[in-house]
Amino acid sequence: MSEVFDTIVRSIIVSGIATALASLWSIPLTYLLVLRNRRAMVMEVIIETLVGIPTVLLGLLLYMLLSSSGPLGFLNLLYTPQAMIIGESILITPLIISVSYRSIRDMAKLYHELALSIGADRFQRIRLIIGQSLPGVVAACITGFSRAIGELGIAMMIGGNIRGYTRVMTTAIALEVAKGNFEEAITLGIALLAITISISIAIKLLSRVRIT
Amino acid sequence: MNIELVNVWYRYSRVEDWALRGISISFRSGEVIYIDGPNGSGKTTLLKIASLIYRPLQGSVLVDGNNFWNLDEDSKTLIRRRVMYVHDRPILLRGTVLDNVAYGLHIRGVDRGSAFDTSMSILSVLGIDSLAHTPIQRLSTGQAQLVAIARALAIKPEILFLDEPFSNLDREKRLALISTLNQFRARGMGIVFSSHNADVMELGKHRRVVLGGGTIIDAYEVV
Repeated sequence: MSEVFDTIVRSIIVSGIATALASLWSIPLTYLLVLRNRRAMVMEVIIETLVGIPTVLLGLLLYMLLSSSGPLGFLNLLYTPQAMIIGESILITPLIISVSYRSIRDMAKLYHELALSIGADRFQRIRLIIGQSLPGVVAACITGFSRAIGELGIAMMIGGNIRGYTRVMTTAIALEVAKGNFEEAITLGIALLAITISISIAIKLLSRVRIT
Repeated sequence: MNIELVNVWYRYSRVEDWALRGISISFRSGEVIYIDGPNGSGKTTLLKIASLIYRPLQGSVLVDGNNFWNLDEDSKTLIRRRVMYVHDRPILLRGTVLDNVAYGLHIRGVDRGSAFDTSMSILSVLGIDSLAHTPIQRLSTGQAQLVAIARALAIKPEILFLDEPFSNLDREKRLALISTLNQFRARGMGIVFSSHNADVMELGKHRRVVLGGGTIIDAYEVV
Protein backbone atom coordinates (compact mmCIF):
# COMPACT_ATOMS: atom_id res chain seq x y z
CA MET A 1 0.00 0.00 0.00
CA SER A 2 2.89 2.33 0.82
CA GLU A 3 4.22 1.77 -2.71
CA VAL A 4 0.85 2.88 -4.11
CA PHE A 5 0.97 5.93 -1.86
CA ASP A 6 4.53 6.73 -2.99
CA THR A 7 3.45 6.44 -6.61
CA ILE A 8 0.54 8.83 -6.04
CA VAL A 9 2.76 11.36 -4.25
CA ARG A 10 5.42 11.08 -6.97
CA SER A 11 2.76 11.67 -9.66
CA ILE A 12 1.53 14.80 -7.90
CA ILE A 13 5.07 16.13 -7.37
CA VAL A 14 6.24 15.48 -10.94
CA SER A 15 3.06 16.93 -12.48
CA GLY A 16 3.02 19.84 -10.01
CA ILE A 17 6.61 20.86 -10.81
CA ALA A 18 5.96 20.40 -14.53
CA THR A 19 2.88 22.64 -14.27
CA ALA A 20 4.76 25.28 -12.27
CA LEU A 21 7.58 25.26 -14.84
CA ALA A 22 5.22 25.45 -17.81
CA SER A 23 3.24 28.26 -16.15
CA LEU A 24 6.44 30.19 -15.62
CA TRP A 25 6.88 30.78 -19.34
CA SER A 26 3.34 30.18 -20.64
CA ILE A 27 1.51 32.84 -18.63
CA PRO A 28 3.83 35.80 -19.37
CA LEU A 29 3.93 34.71 -23.01
CA THR A 30 0.13 34.62 -23.17
CA TYR A 31 -0.21 38.11 -21.67
CA LEU A 32 2.35 39.31 -24.18
CA LEU A 33 0.41 37.71 -27.05
CA VAL A 34 -2.89 39.24 -25.94
CA LEU A 35 -1.61 42.68 -25.04
CA ARG A 36 0.56 42.98 -28.16
CA ASN A 37 -2.33 41.62 -30.22
CA ARG A 38 -0.22 41.01 -33.32
CA ARG A 39 -0.95 38.14 -35.69
CA ALA A 40 -3.39 36.88 -33.08
CA MET A 41 -5.18 34.51 -35.46
CA VAL A 42 -1.94 32.90 -36.67
CA MET A 43 -0.81 32.40 -33.09
CA GLU A 44 -4.18 30.89 -32.13
CA VAL A 45 -3.95 28.35 -34.97
CA ILE A 46 -0.34 27.38 -34.10
CA ILE A 47 -1.07 27.00 -30.39
CA GLU A 48 -4.26 25.00 -30.94
CA THR A 49 -2.43 22.69 -33.32
CA LEU A 50 0.29 22.09 -30.74
CA VAL A 51 -2.34 21.27 -28.09
CA GLY A 52 -3.26 18.18 -30.08
CA ILE A 53 0.29 16.90 -30.57
CA PRO A 54 0.36 13.14 -29.77
CA THR A 55 2.23 12.54 -26.51
CA VAL A 56 4.03 9.51 -27.95
CA LEU A 57 5.43 11.69 -30.72
CA LEU A 58 6.69 14.22 -28.20
CA GLY A 59 7.99 11.32 -26.08
CA LEU A 60 9.87 9.94 -29.08
CA LEU A 61 11.43 13.33 -29.87
CA LEU A 62 12.52 13.78 -26.27
CA TYR A 63 13.83 10.21 -26.15
CA MET A 64 15.97 10.91 -29.23
CA LEU A 65 17.25 14.11 -27.66
CA LEU A 66 17.99 12.65 -24.23
CA SER A 67 19.23 9.16 -25.14
CA SER A 68 22.97 8.55 -24.72
CA SER A 69 23.57 8.96 -28.46
CA GLY A 70 21.34 12.05 -28.68
CA PRO A 71 22.50 15.69 -28.63
CA LEU A 72 21.52 16.07 -24.96
CA GLY A 73 22.66 12.61 -23.90
CA PHE A 74 25.56 14.05 -21.89
CA LEU A 75 23.00 15.41 -19.39
CA ASN A 76 22.14 11.84 -18.32
CA LEU A 77 18.50 12.77 -17.88
CA LEU A 78 16.85 9.83 -19.59
CA TYR A 79 14.78 7.69 -17.22
CA THR A 80 14.83 10.29 -14.45
CA PRO A 81 11.99 12.25 -12.84
CA GLN A 82 13.67 15.42 -14.17
CA ALA A 83 13.22 14.18 -17.74
CA MET A 84 9.54 13.48 -17.03
CA ILE A 85 9.14 16.98 -15.60
CA ILE A 86 10.75 18.53 -18.69
CA GLY A 87 8.65 16.40 -21.03
CA GLU A 88 5.38 17.09 -19.26
CA SER A 89 6.08 20.81 -18.98
CA ILE A 90 6.69 20.96 -22.75
CA LEU A 91 3.56 18.90 -23.37
CA ILE A 92 1.24 21.16 -21.35
CA THR A 93 2.72 24.48 -22.47
CA PRO A 94 0.43 24.83 -25.54
CA LEU A 95 -2.57 23.74 -23.45
CA ILE A 96 -1.94 26.35 -20.74
CA ILE A 97 -1.35 29.04 -23.37
CA SER A 98 -4.47 28.05 -25.32
CA VAL A 99 -6.82 27.97 -22.32
CA SER A 100 -5.43 31.09 -20.66
CA TYR A 101 -5.26 32.93 -24.00
CA ARG A 102 -9.02 32.70 -24.44
CA SER A 103 -9.66 33.83 -20.89
CA ILE A 104 -7.16 36.70 -20.98
CA ARG A 105 -8.29 37.81 -24.46
CA ASP A 106 -11.95 38.00 -23.39
CA MET A 107 -11.08 39.78 -20.16
CA ALA A 108 -8.71 42.16 -21.93
CA LYS A 109 -11.39 43.15 -24.41
CA LEU A 110 -13.95 43.75 -21.69
CA TYR A 111 -11.79 45.43 -19.10
CA HIS A 112 -9.67 47.44 -21.50
CA GLU A 113 -12.75 49.47 -22.39
CA LEU A 114 -13.70 49.83 -18.75
CA ALA A 115 -10.16 50.85 -17.85
CA LEU A 116 -10.12 53.48 -20.60
CA SER A 117 -13.50 54.84 -19.60
CA ILE A 118 -12.56 55.06 -15.95
CA GLY A 119 -9.31 56.89 -16.72
CA ALA A 120 -6.71 54.24 -15.93
CA ASP A 121 -3.21 54.87 -17.26
CA ARG A 122 -1.32 52.24 -19.26
CA PHE A 123 0.13 50.52 -16.18
CA GLN A 124 -3.22 50.54 -14.35
CA ARG A 125 -4.93 49.10 -17.42
CA ILE A 126 -2.51 46.17 -17.58
CA ARG A 127 -2.82 45.64 -13.83
CA LEU A 128 -6.59 45.63 -14.08
CA ILE A 129 -6.60 43.10 -16.92
CA ILE A 130 -4.13 40.82 -15.10
CA GLY A 131 -6.14 41.04 -11.88
CA GLN A 132 -9.46 40.28 -13.52
CA SER A 133 -8.12 37.44 -15.67
CA LEU A 134 -6.33 35.70 -12.81
CA PRO A 135 -9.05 33.10 -12.08
CA GLY A 136 -9.01 32.07 -15.75
CA VAL A 137 -5.22 31.80 -15.68
CA VAL A 138 -5.27 29.67 -12.53
CA ALA A 139 -7.94 27.48 -14.14
CA ALA A 140 -5.65 27.09 -17.19
CA CYS A 141 -2.78 25.97 -14.95
CA ILE A 142 -5.02 23.46 -13.21
CA THR A 143 -6.12 22.14 -16.60
CA GLY A 144 -2.42 21.74 -17.44
CA PHE A 145 -1.81 19.86 -14.20
CA SER A 146 -4.78 17.63 -14.94
CA ARG A 147 -3.32 16.80 -18.38
CA ALA A 148 0.16 16.19 -16.96
CA ILE A 149 -0.98 13.84 -14.21
CA GLY A 150 -3.04 11.77 -16.62
CA GLU A 151 -0.30 11.56 -19.27
CA LEU A 152 1.18 8.15 -20.11
CA GLY A 153 3.28 8.33 -23.31
CA ILE A 154 6.04 10.66 -22.11
CA ALA A 155 6.11 9.19 -18.61
CA MET A 156 6.62 5.73 -20.06
CA MET A 157 9.10 6.61 -22.84
CA ILE A 158 11.44 8.98 -21.04
CA GLY A 159 10.62 8.05 -17.43
CA GLY A 160 10.96 4.35 -17.98
CA ASN A 161 8.52 3.33 -15.22
CA ILE A 162 11.33 2.48 -12.80
CA ARG A 163 9.92 1.19 -9.53
CA GLY A 164 10.38 3.64 -6.64
CA TYR A 165 11.99 6.21 -8.93
CA THR A 166 10.04 7.20 -12.03
CA ARG A 167 6.90 5.14 -11.59
CA VAL A 168 3.80 7.35 -11.61
CA MET A 169 0.11 6.50 -11.49
CA THR A 170 -0.44 6.15 -15.24
CA THR A 171 2.62 3.98 -15.86
CA ALA A 172 1.84 1.91 -12.77
CA ILE A 173 -1.74 1.31 -13.97
CA ALA A 174 -0.45 0.25 -17.40
CA LEU A 175 2.03 -2.14 -15.77
CA GLU A 176 -0.45 -3.64 -13.30
CA VAL A 177 -2.98 -4.26 -16.09
CA ALA A 178 -0.27 -5.94 -18.17
CA LYS A 179 0.56 -8.14 -15.17
CA GLY A 180 -3.09 -8.93 -14.51
CA ASN A 181 -3.09 -7.17 -11.09
CA PHE A 182 -6.40 -5.46 -11.61
CA GLU A 183 -6.93 -4.72 -7.90
CA GLU A 184 -3.87 -2.44 -7.70
CA ALA A 185 -4.66 -0.97 -11.09
CA ILE A 186 -8.19 -0.12 -9.92
CA THR A 187 -6.90 1.44 -6.67
CA LEU A 188 -4.55 3.66 -8.64
CA GLY A 189 -7.28 4.36 -11.19
CA ILE A 190 -9.65 5.50 -8.45
CA ALA A 191 -6.93 7.73 -6.98
CA LEU A 192 -6.26 9.25 -10.41
CA LEU A 193 -9.97 9.75 -10.97
CA ALA A 194 -10.39 11.38 -7.54
CA ILE A 195 -7.54 13.78 -8.26
CA THR A 196 -8.88 14.75 -11.70
CA ILE A 197 -12.44 15.17 -10.34
CA SER A 198 -11.11 17.40 -7.56
CA ILE A 199 -9.29 19.41 -10.22
CA SER A 200 -12.47 19.76 -12.28
CA ILE A 201 -14.35 21.03 -9.24
CA ALA A 202 -11.54 23.51 -8.55
CA ILE A 203 -11.75 24.75 -12.16
CA LYS A 204 -15.52 25.17 -11.91
CA LEU A 205 -15.20 27.18 -8.72
CA LEU A 206 -12.44 29.35 -10.12
CA SER A 207 -14.29 29.96 -13.38
CA ARG A 208 -17.29 31.47 -11.63
CA VAL A 209 -16.25 35.03 -12.34
CA ARG A 210 -19.07 37.46 -12.66
CA ILE A 211 -19.21 39.49 -15.85
CA THR A 212 -22.52 41.27 -15.99
CA MET B 1 -15.17 71.02 -20.96
CA ASN B 2 -16.09 70.78 -24.60
CA ILE B 3 -15.80 67.61 -26.68
CA GLU B 4 -16.36 68.22 -30.35
CA LEU B 5 -16.68 65.50 -32.97
CA VAL B 6 -15.90 66.78 -36.46
CA ASN B 7 -17.00 64.75 -39.47
CA VAL B 8 -16.49 61.47 -37.61
CA TRP B 9 -16.69 58.15 -39.44
CA TYR B 10 -16.42 54.77 -37.75
CA ARG B 11 -16.63 51.20 -38.93
CA TYR B 12 -16.09 48.03 -36.90
CA SER B 13 -13.44 45.61 -38.12
CA ARG B 14 -14.70 42.93 -40.51
CA VAL B 15 -17.97 44.86 -40.99
CA GLU B 16 -18.60 46.51 -44.31
CA ASP B 17 -21.19 49.10 -43.27
CA TRP B 18 -20.20 52.29 -41.52
CA ALA B 19 -21.59 52.54 -37.99
CA LEU B 20 -21.17 56.32 -38.06
CA ARG B 21 -21.09 58.46 -41.20
CA GLY B 22 -19.71 61.95 -41.02
CA ILE B 23 -21.12 62.94 -37.64
CA SER B 24 -20.38 66.39 -36.25
CA ILE B 25 -21.64 67.20 -32.79
CA SER B 26 -20.38 68.77 -29.57
CA PHE B 27 -20.84 67.84 -25.92
CA ARG B 28 -20.36 70.35 -23.10
CA SER B 29 -20.30 70.37 -19.31
CA GLY B 30 -23.60 71.37 -17.75
CA GLU B 31 -25.61 70.25 -20.76
CA VAL B 32 -27.95 67.27 -21.04
CA ILE B 33 -28.12 65.48 -24.38
CA TYR B 34 -30.45 62.62 -25.09
CA ILE B 35 -29.29 60.41 -27.97
CA ASP B 36 -32.30 58.77 -29.54
CA GLY B 37 -32.64 56.34 -32.41
CA PRO B 38 -33.49 52.75 -33.28
CA ASN B 39 -31.23 49.78 -32.57
CA GLY B 40 -28.17 49.80 -34.81
CA SER B 41 -28.40 53.53 -35.49
CA GLY B 42 -24.96 54.15 -33.97
CA LYS B 43 -25.84 55.43 -30.48
CA THR B 44 -23.36 53.28 -28.57
CA THR B 45 -20.59 53.90 -31.11
CA LEU B 46 -21.18 57.64 -30.90
CA LEU B 47 -21.06 57.56 -27.09
CA LYS B 48 -17.83 55.52 -27.09
CA ILE B 49 -16.14 57.87 -29.54
CA ALA B 50 -17.32 60.94 -27.63
CA SER B 51 -16.12 59.43 -24.33
CA LEU B 52 -12.66 58.92 -25.89
CA ILE B 53 -12.70 55.11 -25.91
CA TYR B 54 -12.95 54.47 -29.65
CA ARG B 55 -10.77 56.26 -32.13
CA PRO B 56 -12.66 57.35 -35.24
CA LEU B 57 -11.36 56.04 -38.56
CA GLN B 58 -11.95 59.42 -40.16
CA GLY B 59 -12.60 62.85 -38.72
CA SER B 60 -11.35 64.31 -35.45
CA VAL B 61 -12.26 64.56 -31.80
CA LEU B 62 -11.41 67.93 -30.30
CA VAL B 63 -11.27 68.33 -26.53
CA ASP B 64 -11.25 72.01 -25.60
CA GLY B 65 -9.87 72.65 -29.06
CA ASN B 66 -7.08 70.02 -28.93
CA ASN B 67 -7.11 67.04 -31.26
CA PHE B 68 -7.38 64.27 -28.64
CA TRP B 69 -5.92 61.42 -30.68
CA ASN B 70 -2.79 63.43 -31.51
CA LEU B 71 -1.94 63.94 -27.83
CA ASP B 72 0.65 61.91 -25.91
CA GLU B 73 -0.46 59.02 -23.69
CA ASP B 74 -0.21 60.94 -20.39
CA SER B 75 -2.28 63.84 -21.70
CA LYS B 76 -4.89 61.43 -23.00
CA THR B 77 -5.15 59.76 -19.58
CA LEU B 78 -5.56 63.12 -17.84
CA ILE B 79 -8.34 64.12 -20.23
CA ARG B 80 -10.03 60.72 -19.98
CA ARG B 81 -10.20 61.21 -16.21
CA ARG B 82 -12.55 64.13 -16.78
CA VAL B 83 -15.16 62.06 -18.60
CA MET B 84 -16.82 58.75 -17.88
CA TYR B 85 -18.72 56.24 -19.96
CA VAL B 86 -21.06 53.68 -18.41
CA HIS B 87 -21.77 50.59 -20.52
CA ASP B 88 -25.32 49.47 -21.19
CA ARG B 89 -24.35 46.06 -19.78
CA PRO B 90 -22.46 47.05 -16.65
CA ILE B 91 -18.92 45.74 -16.31
CA LEU B 92 -18.00 45.21 -12.69
CA LEU B 93 -14.78 44.13 -11.04
CA ARG B 94 -14.44 41.16 -8.74
CA GLY B 95 -15.04 42.19 -5.15
CA THR B 96 -17.74 44.10 -3.32
CA VAL B 97 -19.97 46.96 -4.41
CA LEU B 98 -17.82 49.36 -2.36
CA ASP B 99 -14.60 48.11 -4.03
CA ASN B 100 -16.18 48.81 -7.40
CA VAL B 101 -17.48 52.27 -6.61
CA ALA B 102 -14.17 53.29 -5.03
CA TYR B 103 -12.04 51.93 -7.89
CA GLY B 104 -12.09 55.11 -10.01
CA LEU B 105 -10.99 57.11 -6.97
CA HIS B 106 -8.22 54.63 -6.10
CA ILE B 107 -6.62 54.95 -9.51
CA ARG B 108 -6.73 58.73 -9.15
CA GLY B 109 -4.62 58.42 -6.03
CA VAL B 110 -7.38 59.04 -3.47
CA ASP B 111 -6.56 57.24 -0.22
CA ARG B 112 -8.63 54.21 0.71
CA GLY B 113 -10.56 55.83 3.57
CA SER B 114 -11.60 58.92 1.61
CA ALA B 115 -12.45 56.81 -1.44
CA PHE B 116 -14.72 54.59 0.63
CA ASP B 117 -16.36 57.61 2.34
CA THR B 118 -17.11 59.25 -1.02
CA SER B 119 -18.36 55.96 -2.42
CA MET B 120 -20.66 55.40 0.56
CA SER B 121 -22.19 58.85 0.14
CA ILE B 122 -22.88 58.19 -3.57
CA LEU B 123 -24.41 54.80 -2.76
CA SER B 124 -26.53 56.50 -0.14
CA VAL B 125 -27.78 59.13 -2.63
CA LEU B 126 -28.77 56.34 -5.02
CA GLY B 127 -30.45 54.44 -2.19
CA ILE B 128 -28.24 51.35 -2.43
CA ASP B 129 -25.89 51.92 0.51
CA SER B 130 -27.20 48.71 2.10
CA LEU B 131 -25.46 46.83 -0.74
CA ALA B 132 -22.03 48.35 -0.01
CA HIS B 133 -20.43 45.16 1.25
CA THR B 134 -22.29 42.79 -1.07
CA PRO B 135 -20.14 40.76 -3.46
CA ILE B 136 -21.03 41.66 -7.03
CA GLN B 137 -22.04 38.06 -7.80
CA ARG B 138 -25.11 38.57 -5.65
CA LEU B 139 -26.40 41.66 -7.46
CA SER B 140 -29.36 41.74 -9.81
CA THR B 141 -28.74 43.28 -13.24
CA GLY B 142 -30.53 46.45 -12.16
CA GLN B 143 -28.45 46.73 -9.01
CA ALA B 144 -25.28 46.12 -11.02
CA GLN B 145 -26.29 48.92 -13.36
CA LEU B 146 -26.75 51.30 -10.43
CA VAL B 147 -23.36 50.29 -9.02
CA ALA B 148 -21.70 51.06 -12.37
CA ILE B 149 -23.42 54.45 -12.42
CA ALA B 150 -22.41 55.08 -8.79
CA ARG B 151 -18.80 54.29 -9.74
CA ALA B 152 -19.03 56.89 -12.49
CA LEU B 153 -20.65 59.53 -10.26
CA ALA B 154 -18.05 58.98 -7.52
CA ILE B 155 -15.33 60.46 -9.72
CA LYS B 156 -17.52 63.48 -10.56
CA PRO B 157 -16.78 63.59 -14.29
CA GLU B 158 -17.27 66.81 -16.19
CA ILE B 159 -19.26 64.92 -18.78
CA LEU B 160 -20.96 61.62 -18.03
CA PHE B 161 -21.92 59.31 -20.90
CA LEU B 162 -24.61 56.77 -20.05
CA ASP B 163 -25.58 54.04 -22.47
CA GLU B 164 -29.15 52.89 -21.80
CA PRO B 165 -28.87 53.67 -18.07
CA PHE B 166 -32.52 52.99 -17.28
CA SER B 167 -33.01 49.74 -19.17
CA ASN B 168 -32.85 47.37 -16.18
CA LEU B 169 -34.33 49.66 -13.53
CA ASP B 170 -37.86 49.67 -12.18
CA ARG B 171 -39.73 53.00 -12.24
CA GLU B 172 -38.88 53.86 -8.64
CA LYS B 173 -35.16 53.34 -9.22
CA ARG B 174 -35.35 55.19 -12.54
CA LEU B 175 -36.86 58.24 -10.92
CA ALA B 176 -34.33 58.10 -8.08
CA LEU B 177 -31.51 57.97 -10.62
CA ILE B 178 -32.98 60.84 -12.65
CA SER B 179 -33.28 62.91 -9.48
CA THR B 180 -29.61 62.17 -8.65
CA LEU B 181 -28.52 63.03 -12.18
CA ASN B 182 -30.41 66.32 -11.94
CA GLN B 183 -28.48 67.15 -8.76
CA PHE B 184 -25.17 66.52 -10.50
CA ARG B 185 -26.32 68.45 -13.54
CA ALA B 186 -27.12 71.44 -11.29
CA ARG B 187 -23.48 71.30 -10.16
CA GLY B 188 -22.30 71.60 -13.76
CA MET B 189 -21.91 68.00 -14.90
CA GLY B 190 -22.72 67.33 -18.53
CA ILE B 191 -24.88 64.26 -19.11
CA VAL B 192 -25.17 62.44 -22.41
CA PHE B 193 -27.32 59.36 -22.55
CA SER B 194 -29.15 57.03 -24.83
CA SER B 195 -32.44 55.53 -23.74
CA HIS B 196 -35.65 53.99 -24.89
CA ASN B 197 -37.44 55.12 -21.77
CA ALA B 198 -40.12 57.79 -21.60
CA ASP B 199 -39.07 58.86 -18.08
CA VAL B 200 -36.19 60.84 -19.60
CA MET B 201 -38.60 63.78 -19.81
CA GLU B 202 -38.12 64.07 -16.05
CA LEU B 203 -34.60 65.30 -16.77
CA GLY B 204 -36.07 68.64 -17.81
CA LYS B 205 -34.48 70.84 -20.42
CA HIS B 206 -32.23 68.90 -22.75
CA ARG B 207 -31.06 68.59 -26.32
CA ARG B 208 -32.38 65.61 -28.23
CA VAL B 209 -30.28 64.20 -31.03
CA VAL B 210 -31.91 61.58 -33.23
CA LEU B 211 -29.66 59.12 -35.04
CA GLY B 212 -30.56 56.94 -38.01
CA GLY B 213 -28.25 54.82 -40.14
CA GLY B 214 -25.15 56.30 -38.52
CA THR B 215 -26.03 59.94 -39.17
CA ILE B 216 -27.84 62.68 -37.27
CA ILE B 217 -31.27 62.96 -38.75
CA ASP B 218 -32.71 65.47 -36.28
CA ALA B 219 -31.62 67.58 -33.32
CA TYR B 220 -33.71 69.94 -31.22
CA GLU B 221 -34.13 71.45 -27.78
CA VAL B 222 -36.72 70.00 -25.39
CA VAL B 223 -37.90 72.23 -22.56
